[in-house]
This record gives sequence, structure tokens and C-alpha cells, in this order.
Amino acid sequence: MPVAPAAVPGRRRSAVRVVAALAAGALVLTSCGGGGGTGQVVPDGRLTLAMAFAPGAGYAVDTDDAFVLSQLGATESLVASGPDGRANPALAVSWEQQADPRTWRFELRPGVRFQNGEPLTGEAAASALNWLAGVPAPPRAVKGVGLRAEGDGPAAVRVTTTAPDPILPLRLSSANTAILAPSAYASTPPAVQGTGTGPMTITRLDGVQSATLQRHDRYWGERARLAEVTATFVPDPAARALALRAGDADIAQELPEATALEFTGGDYANEAVAAPRTASLLLNQSRAPFSDVRVRQAVTAAIDRTALGEQALAGSAVPASELFGPAVAWGARTPAPAADPARARQLLAEAGFGPDRPLRVELGTYANRAELPTLATAVQEMLRAAGIEANVRIGDHDAREPELLAGDYDMYLLSRSYLLDVPDAGATLGTDYTCQGSYNINRYCSPAFDALLRPLATETDPAARQEVFRRASAMLTADAVGVPLVHTRATGVGYRVAGYTVDPLAKSLVVPGLAKTG
Amino acid sequence: MTTLLVRRLAALPVVFVLGSVLVFLLPRLSGQDTALGILRSRTGEADPDPAVLAALRERYGLDGSWWDQFTGWFSALLGGDLGLSYASRTPVTDALWPALGVSFLLAAGALVVAGAVGIPAGVRAARRPGGRADRVLTAGSVLGVAVPEFVLGTVLVLAFAVVVPVLPATGWGTPAQAVLPVLTLAAFPAALAAQLVRAETVDVLGRAHVTVARAKGMSEPAVLWRHGGRLALTSVTSMSGLFLGGLLGGSVVVEVLFAVPGVGRLLYDAVLGQDLPVVQAGLLAIIMVASLAGILAELLALALDPVARSAAR
Repeated sequence: MPVAPAAVPGRRRSAVRVVAALAAGALVLTSCGGGGGTGQVVPDGRLTLAMAFAPGAGYAVDTDDAFVLSQLGATESLVASGPDGRANPALAVSWEQQADPRTWRFELRPGVRFQNGEPLTGEAAASALNWLAGVPAPPRAVKGVGLRAEGDGPAAVRVTTTAPDPILPLRLSSANTAILAPSAYASTPPAVQGTGTGPMTITRLDGVQSATLQRHDRYWGERARLAEVTATFVPDPAARALALRAGDADIAQELPEATALEFTGGDYANEAVAAPRTASLLLNQSRAPFSDVRVRQAVTAAIDRTALGEQALAGSAVPASELFGPAVAWGARTPAPAADPARARQLLAEAGFGPDRPLRVELGTYANRAELPTLATAVQEMLRAAGIEANVRIGDHDAREPELLAGDYDMYLLSRSYLLDVPDAGATLGTDYTCQGSYNINRYCSPAFDALLRPLATETDPAARQEVFRRASAMLTADAVGVPLVHTRATGVGYRVAGYTVDPLAKSLVVPGLAKTG
Repeated sequence: MTTLLVRRLAALPVVFVLGSVLVFLLPRLSGQDTALGILRSRTGEADPDPAVLAALRERYGLDGSWWDQFTGWFSALLGGDLGLSYASRTPVTDALWPALGVSFLLAAGALVVAGAVGIPAGVRAARRPGGRADRVLTAGSVLGVAVPEFVLGTVLVLAFAVVVPVLPATGWGTPAQAVLPVLTLAAFPAALAAQLVRAETVDVLGRAHVTVARAKGMSEPAVLWRHGGRLALTSVTSMSGLFLGGLLGGSVVVEVLFAVPGVGRLLYDAVLGQDLPVVQAGLLAIIMVASLAGILAELLALALDPVARSAAR
């Protein structure tokens, strides 16, 4: 039997309209990008990026702005590398350590020209590297190694360091070591329009708002499928997501995991890869109570890292089982160990803590990284369940750092990249965990650990170095040197794009294979 | 009026000196190592080399006493030199003037919209206090004051860039790109202007000369606009001077949300990068613009209000 439509009183009719409009809006919203694309590559397409980090130093190649240039496909270095820790040819096709182990010779790729037509020569490469080594604050990749370069004929460059450096080729894969045309260095900072060698050339810069690039048709490698790229710098993640929704951007970088999950459907390329960064609970070993390994082990046993990654951070981070995670070839792939509060209580009792003498500590962290206060609160609850009272203190990291380095703290939750530009963990292990380490906040000192790292000073074989990293990581776990909690992920979403991948080392984005699809 | 103008303008040098001292001291009172901040903003360096920090201090003139730093900066300022950005090593003026221009357009647009919406809405509501229009206005102005800019901005983008995609979500440079940021910024002053105009108009309409005007047969719209609206306009004009300064400096959220390259975004980046010359120049510019806007607004309000004008003499 048909049902007569209900009469709607006049005043409520408008409310019904509003609700209907909102429902229709929601439908449109959820159906955006839900399908219908052909999936075919658009020849000579144009792409707009919503990038997370704006250039802060006028695209100076000695600063972190070098990552922006590298991601846009404008600049290249002598060497390429990935998270596997191996050096691959880029502007140099081969390299060799010389009889004097402080010197390496890099054979340049023949026929390469900068985007403005200047040829890539040994002199050009040498002057670019010498300029970088001479800046007041050299980037991490070349800091303190005493780098000097000189042309060796038109097609080679010799690079010398103060002491033998087994990872020099990896250092020269850093985005900061991009080689610009000699004319670029006439200005400060060096000019980046048309002076790189990458597949795209910058044609217009608009401050921190945007950059426009066009295909470099004389590129030495595979011809870019995109004819034009516009990069807009949108620091707010919500705004980047909205720009993608609205069609203002085709790719949005670094969306919060929960936001990225909203972009569903076949037209979206939703990427999340483990990044070489670990949030760890540092434990001050230079004083009680964490000078006692049983107390450190108790903390380790008390924390459920799977719950931290999957529940507290809603799956936006990978639970850590060791210092190095799945972002790198030598990282642990094993699941994070399960929490064992009973074992934690037992260890605490052995160390003299219990209901009659409860363990009370301060747990410090900072809010610059949004996940840290959340992790600190969750860790506090887990420690409480094991009988440890942790008083959370959230402050400014820069202000607190001198105290941390002086050993004036109990527990501190810190997020730290363990690759620091060069895909080799030797530097981080040296500064953070050796007796003489300049950033050894845990204040861990083990002669056996220092001896384990010693071969890194001369070892050039990536596989042998990575074996050292693995053993070092295992030793840190055995000695309960802090608790690695989670590994961060790098994310990005593309709409109707092909060839899009998120680089965990943040060096590449606009590559020749990237294209817009219909 | 001229005396008042001279008196107000004479105060500007004092504001300039006090403002300079303030913007110089404030970042330094935070106790953070500026050289370390610069290094971290440039290279993300967590483990700085003391020699590198010392070289940076020397290069950026941070190794002298505060007094030396202040006198050096202030004397250059008097000569019109705002210095070089620590981050980009380019003149601060190259970044500041365009950013001020963008923010001024944004703020001026927001004030125009706020006036165009708030004043008629306030006058309309004042016609019948407690009536339907008044209740709607009250509810609307409560919303306009209470809803934060990042929420309103997001809702507007969802509505006009996503659901009905007629406007761009981010960016700056075309009139269409200005619409959503201007509307977002306008909500708060529009709500306040509407409340202010309503209150003033209700007050004026109850006065004896208005009753006389009505008795003489003046039509209701004429009463409203000639007697109520004009006085209310005086209050709104006074308020707009304060708002212009506030909007210039306080539009950080809107400029970051919509990726607008204004002075708020400039200051946001400069504070994160501890780029002191940019922070100092930006804050000082806002203080001076706000002071000038305040004086102009006061003069405009006096021009509109003969009673206040005679009192000011």
C-alpha cells in the first residue's frame, strides 16, 4: 500500500532542506575521487603538489631547502642512494678510493649539461663541493670531515677528506651535495633557477608560496613524462588535505595517517612507508634508578609497544622492536616484544622497589612532534600498571637540551632520525651511544660497544657495515639502553597519478616516471 | 582636530622607540640560544659542533653584548636598514613589504566585509529589539565570535572548494583565492560590529531628538540611518582602527591555513626558524601600522561625530 508523504510544517521545512543539503554535501564529499578515471597517462601532463615544508632559507642548497630542490627533480648529486644503504651512480658513474685512502676519484657521467646549458666538468663539480664545505654551518653530511675537491681533467673530480672516510660516496648522495652550475655561485645563496641537472628545471619562484618547474628536455636520463609541475607550500596538514579534496593539488605530502585513510578509491595512490626515525624512551644511566640495568629492563618489560603504535597512535607508526626499523635494509623486521608487567614488577622488586618503596620518576618530552605527548601519556599509564609512577613534564626541547646532555633527567621521550641525511647509521651510533659520543643522552658507556663500532672507521663494504649496525642494535637492546617505542611513517596521497612513491629519505618525489592520469 | 593630530603624531616616535626595545628584548628573554636555533632551522642539526655555533654567532653579530647588538640594530633601523634575514641572507625589506601588502589587502578586505555585513545587520536588529531579526543577529554574532578561525576556514573550504567547488582552497594571487581567507577573517569583526551597532542604535533611538524627529513625520528608515546609523558608524570606525592592527598581526592562523604569503605567515616561519631580524622588523611594522591606524580611525570618528569633535577641541 502506498504511503502518503508526511506533511512538513512550514518552519521545519527549511530545516529539512538544510539537513538534505548537508547530506548531499556529505555524499559529494565521500564520493570525490571515487572512480571514473581512465587510468591512462596524460601526455605532457601538469601536476600540482601540496608540499609540507616550505623553503625557509631562500632555496640555499647548504640548508634543508636542498631537500625541496631534490624532491622537485631540479637538482642532483654525484651519487644516488636509497634506504638499502648502497651508493648508486648519478652524476658520477663510478668512484674509487685512491692509494691515499683519504682521496676518492669520481668519474663524471659524460655529456651532462646543466639546465642553462653549461657543461658538467670536473672543475664545476669541484667548485660546487668546495663552496659547500666552506659555508659557516656545513650540512650534516659533510660536517667535520674536512672535505676538499679538485677537478681531475674534464670528466672527473677528486675529493679528499682530513682522515680516510669509508662512506664518502654515501655522503655525496646527500641532497645538500647537489651540483649546481658554476654561474649559480655568483650570488648568495646560490641561484637555483636553471642551474641544476635534474629532469625538471625551475622557471619561477614565488617566495614561500610556490615554485613552477618545466621539463628539462636535455636531461641526461629518462625524459620526464610531466611537462610542468607547480609546487605549492602548504604548511598546515589539514589545508593540504583540503587542497587535495578540492582538486587544487594532485599530490599532498605528509598527511596525518587518520586523514590519509579518508582518501579511498581506485583513483587515489595512498602511500605510507616506514621512515628512518624512532621515538625512544631515553633512560639516564648516569644516576639512580636507571643506572641499575634491572630497572631499565623493568621499564622495557612494562611497555606495550604494539599498543602504542596501533592504538595510541591509531596505526600511524610502526611498533619498534629495536633501534632500527623496517625503513632500512639492516632494520629489525621482528614484531615488537609483548609487554610483561608481572616480569617488570619482579625486576623492580629485585632492584628494591615495590609497594613499600615505590619508584617515582619524571618523564619529560616536548610537543613539537604531535605524537610525543600522546605517547608519553600512554607510557605513563603502562608504567603505572607495572608499579612505576612517572610524572609527565612537557616542555621546550631546545631549552631542556643542556640539562639532558648534562645527565640531569630521569626519562625522556625523544624522536630522532638515525640516518641524518646519509644512508649510513654509523654517525648516529657514534654520537648517541659511544662513551665519547657528543649526543649520548642515555649516558651509556660500554667499551665492548665502542670496540664493535671501531671497524666502521675503515670499512667500505655496505654489507659489512650493515652487519655492524645490526649487532650494535642488538647490543643496545640487550643492555636495555632506553626503549625504542615506535618508528614514524612518511605519508602522501596522490589523485589520478602514476609512478608516485613516497621516499622515506625525503630526497625524491618528482621523478621522470611520475605522471598525471586521466 | 589639527592640535589633536599633532598631539597624536608626536607620540609616534615614543611608540617607535618603546616598540623597538620590546621587539628586541622579547625573543632574547626566551633564554634560547639563537645560533643553535638558526643552525637547527637550516640543517636540522641536533648535535651541533661548538666551533660551528661560534662561527654562526660571529657571522650574525650575536657574539657581542645585548647593548651592542641593540645599538647596532637600532641605528641601522633609523637609517632605514632592517638588516639581512638570518635564514635567507637577503634584505628583510624584500620579504617584509610584499608580506605587509598581502596582509593589508586581507585585513582591509575583511574590514570592508565586516562593515558591509555587520552595520546593516546591527541597524536592522535594532529596529525591534527582541524581535526575530534581533534573535538571529544575536545567535549569528555569538557564533561569529566563538567559532575559531581554523574551524570556520575549514568549513568554508569544505563548502565552497570541495562540496560546491567554486573557489580555490589555498593560495594567493587571484581575486578568487582571496575570498575564503577574507570571509574567515571577517567573521569576528562582523559579529562585533553588528553587536556594537545594534547597541548604539537601540540607545540612540530611545533619545528625545529621535522621538521629536518621528513626531515631525520622519520616516522610520530615515530615522534609523540618519540618527542611529551615523552614530553607530562612529563607534565602528573607532573599532576598525584597533582591528586593522589586530588583523595584520593576528591573521597567522588564516594565512597558514590558506597558504597566504602575508606578514602572519612570515612571522610564523621566522619564529620557527629563530630568524630574529625578520621577527623584529615584522613586529615593529605591525606596532607602527596599528598605531597609525588607531590615529586615523580616531580622526575619522571625530569627523563623523560633531559632539565628540567639539569635546576634543
